[in-house]
Amino acid sequence: MNGRIVVLEISSLEALHLAGIVGQFRDLVTGARHDDDPAVARLVPDAYPDDEAASREFRRLTANDMLARRADDARTVLATLGMDGTAVDPESDADATIAVALSEIEAQAWMRTLSAVRLVLATRLGIHEDDDHDPDDPRFGVYDWIGYRLDGLVTALDRG
Amino acid sequence: MAGLATPDLDLDEVTRLDAVPPSAWQTVVWNDPVNLMSYVAHVFRTYFGFDRQKAHRLMLAVHHDGHAVVARGPRELMETHAQAMHDFGLWATVRKDPA
Repeated sequence: MNGRIVVLEISSLEALHLAGIVGQFRDLVTGARHDDDPAVARLVPDAYPDDEAASREFRRLTANDMLARRADDARTVLATLGMDGTAVDPESDADATIAVALSEIEAQAWMRTLSAVRLVLATRLGIHEDDDHDPDDPRFGVYDWIGYRLDGLVTALDRG
Repeated sequence: MAGLATPDLDLDEVTRLDAVPPSAWQTVVWNDPVNLMSYVAHVFRTYFGFDRQKAHRLMLAVHHDGHAVVARGPRELMETHAQAMHDFGLWATVRKDPA
């Protein structure tokens, strides 16, 4: 259980950016519920698309717990990064490489968080089709970068 | 003390506790442009315990057909699966088996 199974190597700069984004994500899921926010809605989607009452009931029973687990996952990511998602140390060496060692449980929290952050970004970016992409919008760079990190994590876990 | 009444059992009529209603409900996972194919296959494999081949095949079905039935069974269990899929960021729904 305490055997570390995945080691992520990322630069300090990347870690800072990631912590900033994950910190925002944590705030999104812990803040006052914005059920009309499409990004939050994507995290707790309709379980019964053809039955509004059943969907509402499902969401009533599950959404708060689900968002709480999201927040827990985000806190795990921040804790394993050694950051709290708020303070950014401008003095840190941006090019230094950090090795983040994760247990399987922590790696799963990372995967769920990276995937959820992509869902939120996709909603903000208006990604509805596979090909929706604007190379001039730097947010797509962030979106792709998080996908790259997620894919690397999945590959590492699948290898085990 | 009362003696035990001998129940009049018809032993040919076997009561099977595991033979409760057929799989009347389904958990369906829908395609979206965000989730990575590698990630979706990984979720299917680790959560449902499918082997790599089956997980990969189901992931491709989601990708190409727009959706795939990933589980069949009682409604409560299908809701549990849907919730687990939501936890992973996949869009899953529950429906009555149209068959």
